[in-house]
Amino acid sequence: MTPKIISESALAALVANLVAGQVRVIAPVRAKDNPEHADYLPIRRLEDAAFNGPLPRRSLKEFFLPPTEVLLRYRQHKDGVDLEEVRTTFPPQVILGARPCDAAGVEILDKVMGWDYRDELWFGRREATTIIGLACPGVDDSCFCSAVGLGPDSTKGSDLLLVPCDGGYLAQAVTPKGEALLNKEPLQAAPDAAAGQTVEALWQGPREKVAKNLPPVPSTLPEWLAKSFNHSYWNSLALRCHGCGACASLCPTCHCFDIVDQHEHYDQGERRRNWDSCQTGKFTLHASNYNPRKTQSERFRQRVTHKFSIYPQRFNSLLCTGCGRCARVCPAGMNLPEILGELTQLAGTEVKGASE
Amino acid sequence: MTELRELARKLLADGSVKVVLGYEEGPRGVRPVFVTDPAQAEKLIFDTRCVQNLAAYLNPRRQHITKLGKAAIVVKGCDARAVAGLIRECQIKREDVVIIAMRCGGVVRDPAGSSELTVDTVSDRCNGCDDREPKLHDYLLGVLPPPPPQSTRYAEKVAQLAGMSPEERWAFWNEQLERCIRCHACREVCPMCFCVQCTADKGRPQWIDCSATLEGNRAWQMMRVLHQAGRCVGCLECERACPADIPLGLLTKYVAQAVERRFGYKTCDDPAVPAPMGTFSTDDEQEFIQ
Repeated sequence: MTPKIISESALAALVANLVAGQVRVIAPVRAKDNPEHADYLPIRRLEDAAFNGPLPRRSLKEFFLPPTEVLLRYRQHKDGVDLEEVRTTFPPQVILGARPCDAAGVEILDKVMGWDYRDELWFGRREATTIIGLACPGVDDSCFCSAVGLGPDSTKGSDLLLVPCDGGYLAQAVTPKGEALLNKEPLQAAPDAAAGQTVEALWQGPREKVAKNLPPVPSTLPEWLAKSFNHSYWNSLALRCHGCGACASLCPTCHCFDIVDQHEHYDQGERRRNWDSCQTGKFTLHASNYNPRKTQSERFRQRVTHKFSIYPQRFNSLLCTGCGRCARVCPAGMNLPEILGELTQLAGTEVKGASE
Repeated sequence: MTELRELARKLLADGSVKVVLGYEEGPRGVRPVFVTDPAQAEKLIFDTRCVQNLAAYLNPRRQHITKLGKAAIVVKGCDARAVAGLIRECQIKREDVVIIAMRCGGVVRDPAGSSELTVDTVSDRCNGCDDREPKLHDYLLGVLPPPPPQSTRYAEKVAQLAGMSPEERWAFWNEQLERCIRCHACREVCPMCFCVQCTADKGRPQWIDCSATLEGNRAWQMMRVLHQAGRCVGCLECERACPADIPLGLLTKYVAQAVERRFGYKTCDDPAVPAPMGTFSTDDEQEFIQ
């Protein structure tokens, strides 16, 4: 489908139409507590959105996998247990102005959420949601989307991608959902883009800017990591890591959860699914008190190998979108782009050494 | 800096310590570094971006650090108060750590930002600091810089909260704590959170709601903050680590003020001063303890 040029007013009309039709519209908004920050929050009008603001503090994953959600409710009585299931269909929502790294994270997670068990809550929200991505100018030198096969104009995970241009936004449909949006009022009447006006042409500058931060992760890295589980590199890797898991909380692709029963009274309660992180010591602590990942270095190795070896070998996709939030949030200065650079170098020299 | 590097090199070379906990220039600003090889002492730096409270690494919960052997630690005044707290509460022994204190002219809020100290960049912890020349030390290095710019930002926030009605304050904290995702980063970075088994992690019985619900979040912060009474050294690392940007330091600051008012106690870098919650006095104003 030929991209269209959407004016600011057409986009405002789209938001107004959606909101009037009871569709929840979520967009990056300046944080009330600190205008230097932004969050993905529901908006009523396009003016509420901060398209040119900073990278939202949290990624998009919480709109599909909330920090806590009820899986079922239970009530015990003398004849047994009554279970009440939760709704797995959701009202429609549109995410407008998703950063490409955040949109990509959602699509990457579809693989694990639909793997051995189709997660009804995840896919219920996925089906109810349309993601309109917005090309990113690049945040700072902790961005490395282009090193993990994406880019500041990547369409992965978006149904429709908007790229700022003269006269508004170039809108490129990515999925049938995105096409449907372009073919409907108020975007239907928008003019087609000129022949040379493409995402690639418009966004070359930001692509080059981000690419300077980190060279692409080599395709041999997953295999090298798989056989380098006992490499000495891991021993001192995470001395400074506090194991706080702030990286995992903000990560668009970290998806581990814990399931807990939350009693409300002596006879009833909720079973909840809560975000969890492999960076905390208790994540792998067995009931016997044995812990297979005793040290923080082992836990950090897990984080790196899950993202760059286990997941890609199983699902043919890195479990990282290069958003850089982990590096920005870490109170102790752990830095994933730095680690990837070091691992790439190690993998390169060791593979070369073996073939000689 | 030369002084610091030379001292670190000497301590490592003559076997006095196995590791020096200090600061280095990382890819994104200043960060903690663990120097075990005298040749690596060159990495050590000290400037206004040395924000992190390294005392957190002496905390016995950090087994991966204790395993490295006897440590020397680079401290500022606020960090020295934390080291003193750990000694006071029998978490470490004074003789097991070599303290390299730096005369301090204040630090910035963001270790990845500019090193220039202004009213806008200075850390809120530096306001009114009287430990710029730590007394708890084995070595005291550097020349005392002038005091940092005094920011009233934090005092204003505290006063603003104090001026609110209980209902307004309740609404303020509910709005803040709604953002909490219960990652417990505030606990993990805190040098004074040293419990091996945190009540928040207990499942049987479950003392507080472990889900990121407003009720659970409130209960968690109340518990954390009350356990910090008489412990919190005011380094604000909890606030810096919070991925949800909740102004957690306001809570601990409030409790610290209450402790000072009721017990005449302010955290200090003298480990011999008894902890207010770890001692009692026969002339205590409350009868039940007499």
